[in-house]
This record gives sequence, C-alpha cells and structure tokens, in this order.
Amino acid sequence: MLDFQNMFNELFELEDPLDKYEWIIEYGAIAKPVFTVAKSDANLVRGCTSNLWIEKIEDKIYCYGESLIVQGIASMICDWYNQASQRQQMDFSLNTLTNIGLAPLLSMGRQNGVANLIAKIKTL
Amino acid sequence: MRDYFPFFKRRPDITYLDSAATSQTLYTVAEDQRDFMLDHKSNAHRSGNSMGTYVDQQYQSSKELIGKWLNINKPEKRIVFNSGTTQGLNDAAQMIVSAMEGGGVVFLGIDSHHSLILPWTQSGNTKWRVVYVELDKDGRLDLNDLSAKIKAEPMGVSKVIAATAVSNVLGLVNDLDGIKKIALECAAVSIIDASQIISKRQLNLSGFDFVVWSWHKVYGPMGLGCLLIDPVWLNFDPVRPGGGTVTSVSIDKVTWTDNATKFESGTQNLSAICALPKLVNWLIEHQTDIEAHDISLAKVINDQISLAQFTPTSKTDSGLLCLEPVVGTVEDYTMMLDAKNIMIRSGKLCAEPLITQISNGALLRLSWGCYTTKQEIELALDNLGDIHARLSKHVQRAV
Repeated sequence: MLDFQNMFNELFELEDPLDKYEWIIEYGAIAKPVFTVAKSDANLVRGCTSNLWIEKIEDKIYCYGESLIVQGIASMICDWYNQASQRQQMDFSLNTLTNIGLAPLLSMGRQNGVANLIAKIKTL
Repeated sequence: MRDYFPFFKRRPDITYLDSAATSQTLYTVAEDQRDFMLDHKSNAHRSGNSMGTYVDQQYQSSKELIGKWLNINKPEKRIVFNSGTTQGLNDAAQMIVSAMEGGGVVFLGIDSHHSLILPWTQSGNTKWRVVYVELDKDGRLDLNDLSAKIKAEPMGVSKVIAATAVSNVLGLVNDLDGIKKIALECAAVSIIDASQIISKRQLNLSGFDFVVWSWHKVYGPMGLGCLLIDPVWLNFDPVRPGGGTVTSVSIDKVTWTDNATKFESGTQNLSAICALPKLVNWLIEHQTDIEAHDISLAKVINDQISLAQFTPTSKTDSGLLCLEPVVGTVEDYTMMLDAKNIMIRSGKLCAEPLITQISNGALLRLSWGCYTTKQEIELALDNLGDIHARLSKHVQRAV
C-alpha cells in the first residue's frame, strides 16, 4: 500500500518549483505501467495540451503521457484511484484532490486537463 | 523604455516573453482608457454635445496620427477601426468575395496564422480555391513559388495574395515589396497581416489592398484593430451595414458615406480609440529606438541559443524565436518555466499548416517587446538549459 500522505508531504515541502516538477517526473518514471497502454483514440484524454492515454487493465487504471510532467501527475492520480475504496472512487472529483492534499497539482497540471482525466477515469 | 510600462513595476516577479501573443500596455493607454470610462464616456459622431465632441476629436486625431505614423495620405478614407486582426481579415475576405462573385484563387503563405487562412476555407466558400505558397530555404515566403503558381492560373481568374509580413512562428520578415510587385503584375488583390511587425519596424504599407493589425500587440488596448484599405474599396457596399456607414437613409434610397466609416458599423470601441492619440505619438517618437532594440534582441537570441539542447525553427529577424526541444515535450518546458515566473507560449501557435511541416507538432515560443531586456532573454535561455538537463536525466534513466 502506497503512503500517499507522506509522499505528498515530501513533494510539497520542496521549495524550488523545479525540484517539485522533477519529483513528479521521477514519480511518473518509477510508476511506469507494467502494461502498455494502447495509444488509441478511445483511450485518449481530451483537452490536454500534450497527449495522455489511460486504460483499464485487470481492474487497474494505467496511463501514458507524452509529457514527463503530465505522466507524473496522471500516475499519481491513477495510483490513488487504484487504491481507493469503492465509495471514494464513486465520489472522486476535483474536490477529492483538494481533500487529499493534492490541490497544488491542479495549478501545476492545469485544471482542465486534470478535470478531463478524472472524468475519463470515471467512465472506465 | 521599460519605465513607460507600469506592468513591470507592478509585477517585478514576472519575466514576460509572450509579447507576440499580446504586449504589455503603455502607461498612457491605461490612463486614457480609465479616464474615458470615468470622465468622458460618450458616443461619437454627431452627438451635438461637448462630451461627444471630445470623443469625435479623439477619434479623428487617432486616424490622423496613424496616417502620420505609417505615412498614409487621407487616413479618413483608408483606416477602418474594428475589433482586431481577425475581424479585419474576415471583412477583407468578405469584401473580396462580394466584389468578385465568380470566385477565384487565393494564394496563401504556408507561414500564415489561422486567422488569415480560415476566412477562405469556410464550407460555404466554394467558389474560392486555396493554393499554399511554400517557404524558401531561409524560411521566408518563396516569391519564386508565388510567382510560378500565380502565373500558372489563367488570366481571367480572379486572384488574391494573402500573406503575413512576419510569421508568428518564424519571426522572419517577408519581402513585402516583392509581394506587392507580383500582385501588381498579376492584377491580384493583396492582403497583408501586419500583426507581428507593425509594433517593431517602419513599413511602407502603400500599394496593398488590405493591411490588418491589432492594437493589443502594439502596447495598446484590447479589442481594437485597424483595417487599412486601398480607397478603391470605398466603391463597394459595406459588409456589415449599420449606424455610421451612411450619410442618409430614405424609404427608397440609401447613400453610403464616402469614407472609411462605411466599414465601421455601430458604436466603436471608443475607450480604446481615445487611448490611441498618445500611444501613436509615443510610437512616432520612439520608432527608431524600438526597431534598433528589436534587432539587438534578435541577435542576442540567435547567438546564444544552444543548438545541442534545442532545434530553432530558423534564425529570427524580429520579435520571436520558436524552438523544438530535443527531450521532453513543449508542455514540460512551459510548465517548468511558468514555475519560475517566466511566461512563454507553446503549442501549435494557431499556425498548424506550418507547424506540421517544420516540427513534430508543437513548439516553444519566446517573444519580446520594446521593454524586454537582454537579461530576461538570457534568464529564459539559462532556465531552458537547466530544464533540458533535468529532463534529460529522467529520459536517460527511462531508456
């Protein structure tokens, strides 16, 4: 089980904004999916500046982003969602990110893109 | 020059390198727009009261000063105020389509902004065929290609040349005199998008049918543009008739005005227009310095960009430089620069035909104005280098 609270604390304690982004990129690299996400139209998350695809494979959601930062942010969100309870998954929204301490990701990852990612996750 | 722009005192934390999208505002413009809304708000044209007369004077003075700035005779017959470049280009296209009912061929530079392309590609516009003109080896509009393509069309076919003076992707100055010469030789109507150049270089804009620009890119107000027309177009009916376009209306007859207000229907953006006289006077006073500064910043960025880390689309002449990163995506760079309060633009830059031809689909763009310092350009380049190093580390690890 991933300890999200500690991870997020570690991330947001970094002072240099470039270090924060580098942490996110590192997360995305480590969390690289064990499965290959198909880069199909059906898996594409609309509204992101660079391409991001997500796919549900064996009950877990995996992502692949062209942007290293987007890959990191999307991986964090997918990982949280994969570990969440059924109830938490049902209630998942932009507000959830605020509640779990990830609100700064909304500005870092551009709110529209994150909102579209959440909407897409909920359709899978 | 920077002291004329309050933004930099109010936001000293920001490095603003997105002036090709919109410039920061000259102090007189901010003051004049505020004063208009608080002290002078009244409508122009035949108000019969002193407040309206003040607005009329500012309106007329604006056109006279633009005429002086750009060396245009009879500005009242040539300068049309509108909402900006997009409206100007749509109106120009509509005037041509109305005047040349049989249709024809439009020769469009491949380096055009979408706003120059799209008026000719609407589904209802079936009588006009678009032919793209390629760039030469340096990235400028290839006038040999233009000449060959236009001469390949039969004499009787109506022709339009629609070109940008400086591409918003390449920052290269196209040969306007050469374009004008071909237009005259081939009896083609000419449209020039001057949005990216007019704030930076002194130009000879005579001899073109239509020239457009937006004032928000010239240190001026939002929501105001100019369409400069050849007076011959005053012989045609307005594309958007309405108040201000006529001298008289009776039950059975309409008499259109014989000056450029024919194409300015309805109430204009007067708070913006009233800010022009001081702005244009300032531009006239500082034109030489503005041009020299632009050339010097282009040299700085051409000399200092590291080819190992980025692939510039070309050397730049003016105002902007686009880069394609070697590692990571443009979004990675834009977000990380933003985190350092460095504002740039990235993506397809509303110029997809060109972007698709010269890149993998998206570019980073650094653009400057007369207030931008050499140190700001260097700061951005240093940070781009730092980000490149950080991203490279992770890309190498992932491989």
